[in-house]
Amino acid sequence: MTEPEESLITDEHRAAIGVKSELAPFVLREEDVRRMRDMLGDKDPRYADGTGIAPPYVLSGLRSRPDRNIVPQVLPRGILTQLEWRFFKPLRIGSELKAVASVIDIRDRLGGRYGYSVLVMSQTEYLDEDGEVVAASIQTGTQFDPEMSRS
Amino acid sequence: MTVRYFEDVSVDEELEPHEELPTEDKAIDFFGRNNPMNPAFADAEMGKKQGFGGALVPGVLKMAWITHYVNEWAGHEATVKSVRVAFRRPDVAGKPLVIAGRVVDKRQEEGENIVELECVTLADGQPSVRANVQVAMPSRNA
Repeated sequence: MTEPEESLITDEHRAAIGVKSELAPFVLREEDVRRMRDMLGDKDPRYADGTGIAPPYVLSGLRSRPDRNIVPQVLPRGILTQLEWRFFKPLRIGSELKAVASVIDIRDRLGGRYGYSVLVMSQTEYLDEDGEVVAASIQTGTQFDPEMSRS
Repeated sequence: MTVRYFEDVSVDEELEPHEELPTEDKAIDFFGRNNPMNPAFADAEMGKKQGFGGALVPGVLKMAWITHYVNEWAGHEATVKSVRVAFRRPDVAGKPLVIAGRVVDKRQEEGENIVELECVTLADGQPSVRANVQVAMPSRNA
């Protein structure tokens, strides 16, 4: 196991903090919502076929993740370690949402399961067709190098 | 699914634990077969190569299970307002996860009846995910 003597976070990595991604549009599709609902066994009548409303958790499973394009890759592997979702409005099936992300913070972490690792915190907002925020998330990813991992 | 009212909820009330069995297929079903995802979610060998000891259970899937678990308890007139999750250790597909929860606070906030819960997923009795969920619940007096 080897750990770096200095931070591997460079000024170039830090320059990503605060920069907003491009708006990433996507449509909340009925088939995606149904697939996730069925997989979870969700029988909530508010989200049944024909209601036009999706349960909040579907956003987390959709692949519109603009943060993927803006998060700097300091170490080769990454795992999600913290996630927060806030929901402001019902999610309407068929509506086009736009996601926009930005990096909030990048910091070193010493010790722990992965040895030296880098924490990258980013936020994503989901806007509806009127430009109103329907949901927002803050995620912290831990980047690590298996070669430096303690376990 | 029933309606649960704010007045009927007690702080320290415990939710009935619920078991889920994560599998590679469930991960694929959650994200969709044609959607890109971490290959370690569907491939045990890839998960091992990444240092997880098997196919990795997606964190967002565990969050979705917790959200659904709380929603089921709260009833179909309640609204999940927020979910905050800390992934304490990776979970591997094929190992059952027990989801448990407890009410830690209830209050009125900006005209809503908010109930706050702490939830946990347990793998082999050890917590792998800790979550804080806030739900707006209906009132009998509304």
